[in-house]
Amino acid sequence: MTVLETLLSGQLLFAALVTGSLYALIALGLNLVYGTMRLLNVAHGEVVMLGAYAAYWAFTALGLSPLLVAPVVAAAGGLLGYALYRGIFKRLLADSSAAQVQRMESNSLLLFFGLSIVLQNAAALVFTPNNRAYNYLGTVYHLGSVSMTGNRLAALCVAGTCCLLVAVFLGRSVFGLATRAVIERREAAFIVGVDVDRVQWLSFVLGFASAALAGVLVSMLGQFSPFSGFPYTIAGFIVIILGGLGNAMAGLLAALLLGVIETYGVALTSANMRSMLLYGAFVAALLLFPNGVFARRAAAR
Amino acid sequence: MRDLFPNRWWTALWLACLVLLAVLPFVANDYVVGIGLSVLMWLALTQSWCLLSKMTGYVSLGHVVFYGLGAYLVVITWQQIPLPLAIVGAGALAALLAALVGLPVLRVRGPYFVILTFGLAELVKYTITWAESASGMASRILFGAPDLQVIYFSMFALAVIAVAMLTWVGSSRFGHGLRSLRENEEAAETLGVPVVRYKLIAFVLGAAIPGMVGGVMALRSTYFVVGQVFDPMISVTVIAMAILGGGDNARGPLLGVLFLSLLSELLWANAPLLYMVILGLVLIVFVLVLPQGIMGLLERKKAPSTQLPNDAAQASPKQGGTP
Repeated sequence: MTVLETLLSGQLLFAALVTGSLYALIALGLNLVYGTMRLLNVAHGEVVMLGAYAAYWAFTALGLSPLLVAPVVAAAGGLLGYALYRGIFKRLLADSSAAQVQRMESNSLLLFFGLSIVLQNAAALVFTPNNRAYNYLGTVYHLGSVSMTGNRLAALCVAGTCCLLVAVFLGRSVFGLATRAVIERREAAFIVGVDVDRVQWLSFVLGFASAALAGVLVSMLGQFSPFSGFPYTIAGFIVIILGGLGNAMAGLLAALLLGVIETYGVALTSANMRSMLLYGAFVAALLLFPNGVFARRAAAR
Repeated sequence: MRDLFPNRWWTALWLACLVLLAVLPFVANDYVVGIGLSVLMWLALTQSWCLLSKMTGYVSLGHVVFYGLGAYLVVITWQQIPLPLAIVGAGALAALLAALVGLPVLRVRGPYFVILTFGLAELVKYTITWAESASGMASRILFGAPDLQVIYFSMFALAVIAVAMLTWVGSSRFGHGLRSLRENEEAAETLGVPVVRYKLIAFVLGAAIPGMVGGVMALRSTYFVVGQVFDPMISVTVIAMAILGGGDNARGPLLGVLFLSLLSELLWANAPLLYMVILGLVLIVFVLVLPQGIMGLLERKKAPSTQLPNDAAQASPKQGGTP
């Protein structure tokens, strides 16, 4: 195949869509937690990894379909998020005055980083560090010249639907309005009567639940190990840097763009370049927007 | 003075460490010397990390990039240029990288700086991994590396330089400038502190040492793998040691280094995963409960009223490092 044929093939576009929709779902959770609380959750990818293990064990040990256990896994993820919020972060957020915010952000990052290390290595202790994978929905469907396996199609549908649902929810519901208000101006939202605490814990629950759900989808697509969560965190960060806070549709577009960059980049070079491309995009995005989306927020004030 | 841990105790602790580490290779077996070497390595790395990150509050999660780059330079120039030159070159290369990326990277603040430095280190790691595999080098083997004693005393010298440098910077005008921008960068700039230049100098100075440390450590194992010398856990360990110790002078990190390197000696060989879990827990507990580290605890006893609550990763400015 020539380079042009590679670029124009529907196969690649499909692969980019699948990757992009997963990234969108993962970034959504990061976005909520960062947007409402300025907590940079670097352990987000580890929740994805745990979700993948939950689906793996449900499928191989109990014979349950991953798509059926997905809601349960998501609920468990949400519960974990709720516990973390009540146990640790509520206290941390409560006694942070405006002057302390930046310092608190760096601190919470180290906190999440510690959590990430603990989860990775505890998972490796319990589940062994080996790669895992299982076969599920392997049937191939053809659409024109594009052949799609059932599991990829299912992942695309689930991730895409969830992102759209959350986007509509944030855009139309009262909770969504409150969330966006907290993202824009936390103090002002508090003054006009928004229940900031409720927005915060719901963001944690929703963020962790979506990460766990993404994990189920990740496990359906290919190999994973206790250490494969972190790249998803990085991908999520790229998406929220590019897409902005609290804007689910822009995030979706940014995620698809990243999916395209990664898929086409790998197709044009080699699979060894995947990590380079991902981190290259990450560093470039941060250098182009030195304070991330925060700068745009500050400018808007 | 109602000092819980007076200065002369510190002097005694430093002297004891100095003497113990200096005579170690003459009295102990290779295993114990190896432990001493890793204490010296972590000491040099942590002290050089503090130069930028403790003084200014720009917490770098990419310190390993300088270490790895230094190791890589020594390995690829192995037996082609004299070793001392290669080690100095390793420091120079790391400093050059810091100088090149310093200006754009140091514009980025707060948590974004933390993850940017992490991403940058990973980017360099994957780029070199890719370059190595493209040239058909999965791993390299070093023949004829120098004696353990030579490695040990090179590392000893680097650790002493790193401690001396942090101590000197801490009490200098430069160091006060760095501290002022930690408290409030805009205010410091308004008062005439050359903020950009100071940050860059601290970044470059703090990069040269891990470059040389990496160069020396490359000689320790005869087998070179890119992923090992660029392991992000090296950066994490450095941060954990510095936070555990606390304070922005050379003393706090010493406590952190001693505690964590001995813990890793106990656990690393038998239960590396368990060690990592404990390292992560140490990070969580200290950030959450004792963000000022052991030093903060000692100084809180000294002057309970001056401590700010929730005063993150850095020590309060008052009793800093001025002797």
